[in-house]
Amino acid sequence: MKHLSVIVDLSRCEVYGQCVFAAPGVFSLHGEDCLEFDPAPDEAARQHVLRAARACPVQAISVGWTDDRLGASRTHGKSA
Amino acid sequence: VTTTTTSTLFRQAVDPANRADPYPLYAELRRTPVSLQDDGTYVISTYRETGQLLRDPRISSDQRNRAEPPPRLQASRIGRDPTFLNLDPPAHDRARRVVMTQFGPPHTPGRVESMRARIEEIATRLIDAQAGRIRIDIVESLAFPLPVAVICDLLGAPIADAERLHAWSNAVVSRIDPATVSAASDEELQQTAQAEGEFAEYMGALLAERHAHPGDDLLSALVNAEDPTQRLSDAEAISTAMVLMIAGHETTTNLIANGVLTFLRHPEVLARLAAEPDLMISAVEELLRYEPPVQFRERTTLTDVEVAGVPIPKGAALVMLLAAANRDEARFAKADTFVPDRADNEHLGFLTGIHYCFGAPIARLEAQIALREFVRRFVEPRLVVDPPPYRANAPLRGPSQLMIDVQRVRESSEQRRGLAS
Repeated sequence: MKHLSVIVDLSRCEVYGQCVFAAPGVFSLHGEDCLEFDPAPDEAARQHVLRAARACPVQAISVGWTDDRLGASRTHGKSA
Repeated sequence: VTTTTTSTLFRQAVDPANRADPYPLYAELRRTPVSLQDDGTYVISTYRETGQLLRDPRISSDQRNRAEPPPRLQASRIGRDPTFLNLDPPAHDRARRVVMTQFGPPHTPGRVESMRARIEEIATRLIDAQAGRIRIDIVESLAFPLPVAVICDLLGAPIADAERLHAWSNAVVSRIDPATVSAASDEELQQTAQAEGEFAEYMGALLAERHAHPGDDLLSALVNAEDPTQRLSDAEAISTAMVLMIAGHETTTNLIANGVLTFLRHPEVLARLAAEPDLMISAVEELLRYEPPVQFRERTTLTDVEVAGVPIPKGAALVMLLAAANRDEARFAKADTFVPDRADNEHLGFLTGIHYCFGAPIARLEAQIALREFVRRFVEPRLVVDPPPYRANAPLRGPSQLMIDVQRVRESSEQRRGLAS
């Protein structure tokens, strides 16, 4: 089954939180400087994820497609 | 090296005569990343230097750090407490965090997205009201009333008060326009101060009302926060509420109107947007680069600094010319071209660093919805007057009126012919 593939370049991420506003079901903040996100959200979240990627002030988010659900656990990241 | 010809460029760029197209003057300014003007202001206009300084802790947003403080209006004391917009860390961080706690992540991540349906409903109603018309002022009918309704909703202010809130807000924003301030008569300054006083009084009463009868709006959440460290002082709350009201509509109105203007000037873009609705997401980012609703912000040096080889003394007035930085060819290919699907669009339309636009997510949401509905519902729109008349304010640049002719206005339920879903 096809899923979205979300990649955040954590060396660029400065945790502005714009992705969380745009796609609160896919991205979230733990505290003020730790981004958490679903790397393989459901197709239903496509619009939200696109908005999140475009809204990123440092353009750290890329969105693609994957055929199987990679990484069942959520990915954690800390800002640079 | 500054020459006599470049030392008045900024004054020319903000002259109302050049409001419709200041970009050639911005291009002149960009030849010198730091350009000392004859009034002692340093104008920063290149992408790299603008971005760097907006992230530089030696650069202050607090005008009290100026060697020569800007001319003050006769103060009405209330409503003049600094907000996070014009504070530096650590006071800035605390004030911004307190408001963000109620507005967005990490504590309230869903507030903005939860307003989507309401914003769509307002946009639909506003366009419905244009049915049967063939000549429409986009500012009056959509670009202005949508953000006003949304910010009133967000803050819990009655929409019936929108008119006077706008009048007050207009008076207050004239203060960030250097040309308006220096040209103002004593009487005009007095009137501005009075408007500001009335605005502050209104917001004080609204906050008291939200305290007594909380709703699910942002101000209710702010004044009723259980944790005392998550509250603003009464005076801070008033000036913050004023700033949110002002910033919440003055800038978004310009973003929407600039969007319609830009799309109508680029029929091929309009056609693509009609065929590919998802393109609006990146088109709005490109608008923020190409026609940013906030053209410049003022800053002050906290110490002597050197920028691009130019020494700038402590306490100097800086102008960060965002709109010029956004057109810097050194950063953006075809910088003067509107590219709706531009990749790598790290624009400065919402600034960068700690003062990144607080309301950015809601401005994006409103612009995406309003412009999507504009494209979807107006049949064969075209500009009546180009360029349109502009509002007086130089930093908050946008049309005061944007007349368009349409063949007709589609029903909201009507599908666009030839389009899948």
